[in-house]
Amino acid sequence: MSKYFANIYDTVNTLWTGMRITWRHMMNIKRDNVTLQYPEERWPRPERNIGFNHDNYNVIRSRLHVDIDECIGCLKCTRACPVDCIKIDTIKAPVRGEDIPNVGHTGETSSGTKKALLVSRFTIDMSECCYCNLCTYPCPEKCIFMVGGPNGSKHPIDYEFSEFDRNNLIYQFAKLITPGQKEALQNPTPEVEA
Amino acid sequence: MTVDFLIDWFAAMGDFPVIAFLLAVIISGIPIFLIMALNAIVAVYVERKVSAFMMDRIGPMGQGPGLHAGKWGLLQTAADAVKLLVKEDTVPETSDKFLFKMAPYIIFIGAFMGMAAVPFSSVLQVADFNVGVFYIIAVGSIGVIGIVMAGWASNNKWSLYGAMRSAAQIISYEIPAGLSIIVPIMMAGTMNLQLLIQSQSGTVWGILPNWIIFNNPFTFIAFFIFFISAVAETNRTPFDIPEAESELVAGWMTEYSGFRWALFFLSEYANMFVVSGLAVAGFLGGWQSPIPGMFDSAGWELFWFMGKLILLIFVMMWFRWTFPRLRVDQLMHVCWKVFIPIAMFNIFGVGIWKLIFG
Repeated sequence: MSKYFANIYDTVNTLWTGMRITWRHMMNIKRDNVTLQYPEERWPRPERNIGFNHDNYNVIRSRLHVDIDECIGCLKCTRACPVDCIKIDTIKAPVRGEDIPNVGHTGETSSGTKKALLVSRFTIDMSECCYCNLCTYPCPEKCIFMVGGPNGSKHPIDYEFSEFDRNNLIYQFAKLITPGQKEALQNPTPEVEA
Repeated sequence: MTVDFLIDWFAAMGDFPVIAFLLAVIISGIPIFLIMALNAIVAVYVERKVSAFMMDRIGPMGQGPGLHAGKWGLLQTAADAVKLLVKEDTVPETSDKFLFKMAPYIIFIGAFMGMAAVPFSSVLQVADFNVGVFYIIAVGSIGVIGIVMAGWASNNKWSLYGAMRSAAQIISYEIPAGLSIIVPIMMAGTMNLQLLIQSQSGTVWGILPNWIIFNNPFTFIAFFIFFISAVAETNRTPFDIPEAESELVAGWMTEYSGFRWALFFLSEYANMFVVSGLAVAGFLGGWQSPIPGMFDSAGWELFWFMGKLILLIFVMMWFRWTFPRLRVDQLMHVCWKVFIPIAMFNIFGVGIWKLIFG
């Protein structure tokens, strides 16, 4: 008989202990919460250590970006790309090294190279890109690069780009050019001599 | 809002007793249904949040309507309700189709009828029976017929197991619940819920409100037996062996979808509401203020009743997210070997107490 009551006491006691635990968790939810509201909050990115000093080496290789004002349209990155995800079209500029304001073309890069070509199309399909980083080495103007890391000052890091449509992963870098402007640039009207 | 008042009111307008009765019943039935629906929507949201907080999660969250479910996920249950209503209504090929379709309505009727006798305040009560306590206990067991029908008609082993477990459990736990609710009836000398609550005014032991739970040690124990039996009667964790997800998928609800399942869900939360209402009326002073003599106007009465009721529903959720499920033999052990002897001893003790002190 005493065992019966001891059993009841034990049950009530342990149940109360369990309820105290859940109550404590509920009251301390602000402190104990483990859920991260992902798009609004992110975990901090961990420090990478790859065994050597990587001041000039982008270990993250997150996304390709092009400073189109620097690009001279040499197509070296297209040739380096093992999966052919970089597509470039160029038009010969009427005068080498001169600005064409109506299409936003600048004649000179920041390092002083005079551009002979106008880049009318520069697309990178990031769904095809294999993040090998091979396109960034041959670039004579250092205008194509992986964002973040040592290039953090040029472009903020972006490794979470996701889209509902795969076509949105094709990034357009060239300045917008209307077909009419393209036509005019490709067939320049000869200047009539007075 | 008593239905009798409405019947009298309509009867005074003309001599159409049948129409007056029907109108009065429909007019008083609509608020009950609205309370049921609102209760389910709010309680499901609160349950998700409580469960999340107890598990160190944050539950449904969102920044606004649209892709997310409202701020703090407030629209989550509304979205769930819309989802349930537009879901396909499937009936298994080999089921007993008539019983399968009838079962949700019978369970719903049981819960709906129970809501009619809940005394929200001294004036807000749809039907003021002189056997209110008995009525709630009686209509509370209608649901088990629907559950057995659902389990049998589904033609599915899980459903049948769930239904049989549910029948065994509900019928077993009716006994300790009934024996414990006899204690307030003995203390107050009435089964009428309004008179039962009115008898709990004033103070006891000097400071405590004169609620039946505080009256003597036997009533204190009786409250806990009644409340735990009520949790078992509503098939909630830790007594959810009829719908044990890990063994029986969803028990007797396995084959149901869409609106029929929503009716089961609505009934489950309405049952929680009704048994909590009975516990509040029987043991916690109903709409009486916890500070005797203060805050006892009509609005406060509703506030106190709903406050106590919501507290009890919260405790049910607290149970659910704390305790693991009982085995069938443990369940029967608790009922027949612990609750029923103690409940009978309580009746005896309260009788002696009334003879000596009352």
